[in-house]
Amino acid sequence: MNLFALITIALPALGSAVTFAGARDARHVKFWSVAPIAAALFCSLVVQVAHGAGGTSTAITELAPAGQYTVWLGTRVSGLSALTGILVTVVALCVQVFSLTYMREEKRYPTYAALISLFTAAMLLVVYSADLIVLLVGWEIMGACSYFLIGHYWERPDARSGSIKAFLVTKTGDVPFLFGIVALGVRAGSFRIDDVLHHVGVNGLPYAPFIAVLLLCGVVGKSAQFPLHTWLPDAMAGPTPISALIHAATMVAAGVYVVALLYPVFLLSPGVLTLMAVIAAVTMTGSAVAAFAQTDIKKVLAYSTVSQLAYMLGGLAVGGRTAAVFHLLAHGAFKALLFLAAGVVIHHVGSNELSAMGGLRHRMPTTYRTMTIGLAALVGVPLLSGWFSKEAILGAAWDAQGGFAAPGRIVLIAGLLTVGLTAAYATRLWLKMFWGPFPAASPDEHRVEAPQSELVPLIVLAVPSAVFGFVALGGGAFASWIGGAFGLAAPAGTGADLAPAGPTSAISFALTVLGTGGVWYAWRRDPAADPARLLGRWRETALYGFYLDDVQDLIIVQPAKALARLVGFLDTEVVDGYVRGAGMGARGLGGLLRRVQTGNIQLYLTALFTGVIVIAAAVAILVGHGAGAVR
Amino acid sequence: MHAVYPLLLGALLFAVGLYGVLARRNAITVLMAIELLLNAVTVNLVAFGALLRDRFNTGQVFTLFVITLAAAETGLGLAIVLMIYRQRGNAQIDGQRELAEPLGGPRDELQPGAGAPAVGPDAEVEDEPAAGRALEPTKAAR
Amino acid sequence: MATLLVLLLALPAVGLAVLYALPARQAARVGAAAGALVFLLSLAVLPLFDYGRAEQMQGRLDVPWVPAFDLRFHLGVDGISLPLLLLTTLLTALCLLYAVRTTAKDESGRTFTALILLLEIGMVGTFLAQDLLLFFVFFEIVLLPMYGLIHRWGSGEERRRAADKFILYTLLGSALMLLGFLLIHARTGTFDMVALAQRHGLGMTLGVQEAAFLLVGLGFAIKTPMWPLHTWLPDAHTCAPTVGSVLLAGVLLKMGTYGLIRIGAGMLPLGAHKFAFALGCFGTVGIVYGALACINQARRGGDLKRLIAYSSVGHMGFVLLGVATLTRVGLDGALFASVAHGLITGLLFFIAGGFKERLGTTDLYTLGRGLYERARRYGALIAFAAMASLGLPGLAGFWGELYTIIGAAKPAAGLTSPGFHVLMAVAGLGMILTATYLLLVVRRLCMGATVGPSGADRYEPLADLSNRELVSWTPLAGLTLIAGLWPALILALADPAVHRLLGGVRQP
Repeated sequence: MNLFALITIALPALGSAVTFAGARDARHVKFWSVAPIAAALFCSLVVQVAHGAGGTSTAITELAPAGQYTVWLGTRVSGLSALTGILVTVVALCVQVFSLTYMREEKRYPTYAALISLFTAAMLLVVYSADLIVLLVGWEIMGACSYFLIGHYWERPDARSGSIKAFLVTKTGDVPFLFGIVALGVRAGSFRIDDVLHHVGVNGLPYAPFIAVLLLCGVVGKSAQFPLHTWLPDAMAGPTPISALIHAATMVAAGVYVVALLYPVFLLSPGVLTLMAVIAAVTMTGSAVAAFAQTDIKKVLAYSTVSQLAYMLGGLAVGGRTAAVFHLLAHGAFKALLFLAAGVVIHHVGSNELSAMGGLRHRMPTTYRTMTIGLAALVGVPLLSGWFSKEAILGAAWDAQGGFAAPGRIVLIAGLLTVGLTAAYATRLWLKMFWGPFPAASPDEHRVEAPQSELVPLIVLAVPSAVFGFVALGGGAFASWIGGAFGLAAPAGTGADLAPAGPTSAISFALTVLGTGGVWYAWRRDPAADPARLLGRWRETALYGFYLDDVQDLIIVQPAKALARLVGFLDTEVVDGYVRGAGMGARGLGGLLRRVQTGNIQLYLTALFTGVIVIAAAVAILVGHGAGAVR
Repeated sequence: MHAVYPLLLGALLFAVGLYGVLARRNAITVLMAIELLLNAVTVNLVAFGALLRDRFNTGQVFTLFVITLAAAETGLGLAIVLMIYRQRGNAQIDGQRELAEPLGGPRDELQPGAGAPAVGPDAEVEDEPAAGRALEPTKAAR
Repeated sequence: MATLLVLLLALPAVGLAVLYALPARQAARVGAAAGALVFLLSLAVLPLFDYGRAEQMQGRLDVPWVPAFDLRFHLGVDGISLPLLLLTTLLTALCLLYAVRTTAKDESGRTFTALILLLEIGMVGTFLAQDLLLFFVFFEIVLLPMYGLIHRWGSGEERRRAADKFILYTLLGSALMLLGFLLIHARTGTFDMVALAQRHGLGMTLGVQEAAFLLVGLGFAIKTPMWPLHTWLPDAHTCAPTVGSVLLAGVLLKMGTYGLIRIGAGMLPLGAHKFAFALGCFGTVGIVYGALACINQARRGGDLKRLIAYSSVGHMGFVLLGVATLTRVGLDGALFASVAHGLITGLLFFIAGGFKERLGTTDLYTLGRGLYERARRYGALIAFAAMASLGLPGLAGFWGELYTIIGAAKPAAGLTSPGFHVLMAVAGLGMILTATYLLLVVRRLCMGATVGPSGADRYEPLADLSNRELVSWTPLAGLTLIAGLWPALILALADPAVHRLLGGVRQP
């Protein structure tokens, strides 16, 4: 089983290497981008099946010897990682197949496909790694691939700045993350995940809140939570398929995955859980409001992703690990679906803007149906996967006891509020895209519907979006599968982990209806206008992300630039000034001494004679003293 | 005769000669003063030779050496002074300053100055957009 | 194997002789052949090396040379020097190969090649020497050829001054270092580095060790370079020819860190303990300072070579922090970071040299943009080098930084732990700033619209990587990738030797 996990990681890496090394023939590139991932999908399914239920297993070879802190290369298969591995390979395969035609006209398609394969290998490394450092390697390689892929259209200024921003903002979270991992490794005496979890379980962890906060920084960066969420909307400058893969289903989910993986560390400090709840609450509501105001559909989906990730983080904050992971898997499916469908629509209409769309349900029926399923899952229409997963989280918040009580209340209130907001923006998106008149200003389309290779992934992803939720009704199977509260073979979770709680279901249903109905009503009154006008004065603020980008620019970017200028000045004028000063001082000293050379012989002789007198006197005195001392 | 008399004579001669060497401006006078110095040394040598009475009469032997050398040196010195007088019209010792260091310091082919190429004074970094929002709707489809 | 080590020193000398025997037209080819031969010879050390006993000095040769000074010709190689030795011979071979086309076919070209061969003798000797005075001799041999390279074959009007500053500043460091060596000899009676390492400071009182470490440490700190003693580096690099820059950044800087580890930490442990935190502070300031200076250079009017020079200050700051922790894992990180920096920055300077050759300048805003399109492989290489330099895991730069951080998280007993944690945090800030300027450079050079609004090309066409460049640059890129994916290659050698250097029995 570990061998298969290793193969699952190696296959996309191989595909990436081959494509980078020089496959230029289009068919070869297509083969090497799709086939390895398909094979990896198969292997991940094998891993899942072979893993059975519960328990973990590892295999080890040494990668970097350094005494106690040796880094080990090996795989660790747990229920959590097996399921996430399947999610990753499924979405990656869908994206690669989708890209076969979507990116067909691109001249940089080989690089693009190779980077996607490399990214998939890195994410699988994160999922299957047995060692925290190797996990970090995969984590950062994902960030690098994300940077390159966002910058795919580097002729455009927004792609250039978006790619740098994504890398730097996540890096700002990754550095504390590195410190947290190092702290864990130093405390536990080893970087292997099993050793760390065992150590934490047996000995606890000094400075646990501090270490948990450090790890949380990485999560906040990678999973785009407040205040490090600003990169995700700008990352939409990249091609839409990679938004589906990286910025919806996998990389941003890696943060949540790591919290689920290292959950015992977070459970040791209730303060951190409350902090997580607060971050999640602020993020989920703020981004939902922002999503409501956006005019670019990719930005709507981006802010929606941020909001849903906050749900997952909130679920983890209230002890609902099972619920959070459940939502991670469900969200991965329907958000990828939404992004891919958005890509199809964008290609059809020729623009990202909502103002260019309308009435598409007749022109693109398959897209319409699949996207409706996706949006319904997002909203939480009952019996779809999104409903089950969201209700699981809200139920966990409702049931939260003891140390989870405070986070529970925060997450519950914010979560319910966001349910309404989610319904609102999703309905707005759905209505503006598929209903109403088709704007006459859009260019003519030469095809009615997208090609097969773009529609098949949509349909494939629509299936789990619809039915994945029924896993929750399978008793405690899912919960025990991913290990309940802990990743080890610990007390299994119960069926109650995923069951929707009564009161929250009712309230959230009511809020959903309210949100949907309100927006539908506003749209009905004036189909040409944007329901976002309901925000009134706050519309523009929400459109620009509450001006958080400008705040970030003001408090970080400008001071850094100023400091850089200062350092540049200091280096040439002050530090080097001392060096040049030393040189000039030596020269000045020499100049002073040269003044003695007046050319006047008599002066020289005077000096000579005086010197002789001084030496003679000194000798006489010293010898006299010496002789006197002896006697 | 007590030894102190010739030694005192020597010291006085030396003092006068030293004054002449250090303080007189005319080169001939300086040369004369140098002669006085040498003769002072001679007196000293003879006095100590008589005082110490060693086997080789070292004092007197050395005195003969000094006299010879003084004669040779005076001849050379006068020749140099004569040439200086012919070239420059005077024989003032303190006027001959060719070997002095020039006041401005030696001419420098290396100019002291800033070491680094200056980075441009513009405050603007580059023609890249500020991080964040796109103000106009994105035209191209991606 | 001892004969092999002597041959490593003798072969460049033979090359010098052949160089002057043959006509000046052949000078560059002779040089390239000599460099390749030396590299192959150094590879021959690998199978002869006993990996199970990597901590012991192998291939030892110990004969008296100048008994009046107690100077012995004592050579040896162990797990710490072997990677650095291979790095040296590889970089020199690649430089000589690269210079074949550009070297003038007359007397000045012959002198140029001769200087590089002389430089190689000095560099190889520094890493092989096991006698302090012999170490000093080889250390000094390096200075004059580099001075000559910058002074005569450098570019820019500042080159004379830059060369002067380089040699005078480094000579000051060497003078202090020699004083330290003499102090050590006065107290212990020997210059033998193996014996001194075994004694691990025995025979020298605390005061003596502190004084010696201060002297020796200052000398090496100027070479490393440590902030604030670094200002010779940007000027020297900006004006030096490509080959000079590569060797300066790739090898000469490592001589300083090697000395700090071998002599400072290995022979003067009490002195090292006293000054460790200060060393760490200066190193950490260098990380952030270097990164900020680089961001400043990424503006309009900035120079690419100057930027890479400041990035060296930053990377060496990490090495210094690793040394300052005085732990096994910290020194492992320092050594790994040294080797990685040699590979990566050597590659970066080659890239800058490529620009120099094509466009005659390295002013960042005159190089044009859109290299991903105009010169595809060149642009890809720049992006790769930038990713390696910012410490992306999977490439060589990461492991050095990681182990330095781990060392700082748990420094040696007796060192202030909270202080090192603060240094660790500041170093983390430096990592973010490093990523910033490297990505700014990539954006400026590789990205950007190549076609103007009227449809015409905005920039002059640029030749992509030539075969010569491909052959001399890709080994560095390949090694960066391999060392990044399999750090055990270097660590398996260095780790046991470091363990022994730190006194073996103590904490890991």
